[in-house]
Amino acid sequence: MGCCNAFSWVECIISVFYPSRLQRQQVTMRMRLKLKTVFVMYFMVSFLGLIYALMQLGGQRCDCSDQELSKDQQIAQLKGELQKTQEHIKTSELNKKTDIPRIYVITPTYARLVQKAELTRLSHTFLHVPQLHWIVVEDAPDPTQLVSDFLSASGLSFTHLHKLTPVDRKLQENDPSWLKPRGAEQRNEGLRWLREMGAAAKGKEVAALEEAVVYFADDDNTYSLQLFEEMRYTYRVSVWPVGLVGGMKFERPVVEDGKVVRFHTGWRPNRPFAMDMAGFAVSLRSVLTNPEALFDGNAQMGFLESSFLQHLVTIDDLEPKADLCSKVLVWHTRTEKPKMKREDALQKQGLGSDPDVEV
Amino acid sequence: MPKRRDILAIVLIVLPWTLLITVWHQNAIAPLLAIRKVCHHLVKEILIIPERLTIRRQRLADDGTETRHETGVATDSKEYCSQDKDIVEVVRTEYVYTRPPPWSDVLPTIHVITPTYSRPVQKAELTRLANTFLHVPNLHWILVEDSQRRTPLVTRLLREMGLNYTHLNVETPRNYKLRGDTRDPRIPRGTMQRNLALRWLRETFNSNSSQAGIVYFADDDNTYSLELFEEMRSTRKVSVWPVAFVGGLRYESPKVNAAGKVYGWKTVFDPHRPFAIDMAGFAINLRLILFKPQAYFKLRGVKGGYQESSLLRELVTLNDLEPKAANCTKILVWHTRTEKPVLVNEGKKGFTDPNVEI
Repeated sequence: MGCCNAFSWVECIISVFYPSRLQRQQVTMRMRLKLKTVFVMYFMVSFLGLIYALMQLGGQRCDCSDQELSKDQQIAQLKGELQKTQEHIKTSELNKKTDIPRIYVITPTYARLVQKAELTRLSHTFLHVPQLHWIVVEDAPDPTQLVSDFLSASGLSFTHLHKLTPVDRKLQENDPSWLKPRGAEQRNEGLRWLREMGAAAKGKEVAALEEAVVYFADDDNTYSLQLFEEMRYTYRVSVWPVGLVGGMKFERPVVEDGKVVRFHTGWRPNRPFAMDMAGFAVSLRSVLTNPEALFDGNAQMGFLESSFLQHLVTIDDLEPKADLCSKVLVWHTRTEKPKMKREDALQKQGLGSDPDVEV
Repeated sequence: MPKRRDILAIVLIVLPWTLLITVWHQNAIAPLLAIRKVCHHLVKEILIIPERLTIRRQRLADDGTETRHETGVATDSKEYCSQDKDIVEVVRTEYVYTRPPPWSDVLPTIHVITPTYSRPVQKAELTRLANTFLHVPNLHWILVEDSQRRTPLVTRLLREMGLNYTHLNVETPRNYKLRGDTRDPRIPRGTMQRNLALRWLRETFNSNSSQAGIVYFADDDNTYSLELFEEMRSTRKVSVWPVAFVGGLRYESPKVNAAGKVYGWKTVFDPHRPFAIDMAGFAINLRLILFKPQAYFKLRGVKGGYQESSLLRELVTLNDLEPKAANCTKILVWHTRTEKPVLVNEGKKGFTDPNVEI
């Protein structure tokens, strides 16, 4: 009995049960037919099952691989971007230009509702200027938390000073802004710090200070980035137009043959230096070599700038910038005092807004 | 001698099952191999804040949700592997002087819509606004002038700034002041300009595209902190936060309950408005704008303070609002207003050279 193929082992079993040859033959025939059918069915079913399973798996596999691909893709993308950004930083570090003159910006500030907002947008401008050192002088007896926290988070190189204005020189709540000159004490404090630093400097620092420039920037003005590049190379005192000041669209020094001859302004043009605080920058060298040059807090309205500049330079030595004083790169904007009527009403009821939230 | 037929039969039976089993087996093993193979150094959301380069740590959970942990400032870069797919934390402290930051393919774009009009302080306002925007990665500035033609002042400014921008213009008809309802003779300022920008967005972006975007309405005299833009970048539908100096208060803010949902408005001026919020206090996901193409700011018949509601009520309900800025406890935007400069000394004929641009 050869049981060497699928059909024959069935026959073996059959031969056990059906000893008669004819019976065996008959049974075998039927069985063969049945078997054949069974096998065909079995084959069909298994084939269909395989197809189904393959489709399932194929579907699943495609999903997974897509997901994996997209995750992998994302990883690759982000890696690529990280690399790009790091390279970018490296190249911008190279362009950091540590050999350009530093600009020291002195900003007097005082606590009021819009203080943080003003300092914030000012810092956004300064962050674009390389080699800038911000000297913030608060009109306060002590440095305030708001300004300290703000400066630390700003990302700028800074010095935080404070100097309280004497009561008789201070503008009261309801005084119009033009009544008394503001910020003189604070700017003088900034100058004092610079002179102290200049005296204490040694070695390479001294050379750097030779080239540096000092600029007085109020916290509510608007500065374009080009302005800082114009002022960076100042020998004594450089000047340029200022927009929206003096009751006019802009004030400017009048330049003839590359020299400043007079000032074009509609308000008291007979001042020695009929300019706004934002319209000039002085070299640190001039500040250090003229220790008596300070702002006179008792000066008449509009003469604050002159009280300082007359110690340093004459009108002939002024260096005109901004395309010979024909472009406006700084604007004397002023911010409205926000109306707090409802806040005041609530405060009276004891329902004022949370004072812990810093505005 | 085995018959050919029999062999064929065996082959036909055995083959499919072998295939099935091998394929299944392989598939079961493969994903396990993939995970263990590589330690994920996945970095998501590269934020360039000028004072530091931080990469927010993101955890990819298996169900697709993401939780975020803010990284502190450190001066070294740390990298580590972990099995649960935590990603790398890389923190550096650096200045970035080039502007604007390089465009990222992964960060959603913030489309900032700013209406503007000609006045003496316009160039100053746009300059300092642009100085702020130059720090924000993936920012697209849509500046819409209220003028008949695009002015050369704005055109030149946009070109010199280097920002990614779109310059549009539409003039608000002046005679709306005289005609129309006697109750509301004027269209609130900037409405037509904002609507034009929304229409531009809908025409430019296809709702099927995968471009992630956030829409924010920024007026040219407000003050924005850089943190604000990073807060709004994760907006799913509409996100909200407090705004300083509006409504006669130190700040107005949404009321957020313990579950982190907005349930009201902390304001004195008409707190029962559907959305008692200032234009600067919310941002909308671009997809939502594209999904509801009929949503615009209402032009006429809008009561004072209801302009924001006229758009938001068509887009979202109070329940869907996402509070940002530490659950609406931090002030990241100030509604500052610039004084109108007094130009008395110009006189009738104009004292200054009219050719000089201010």
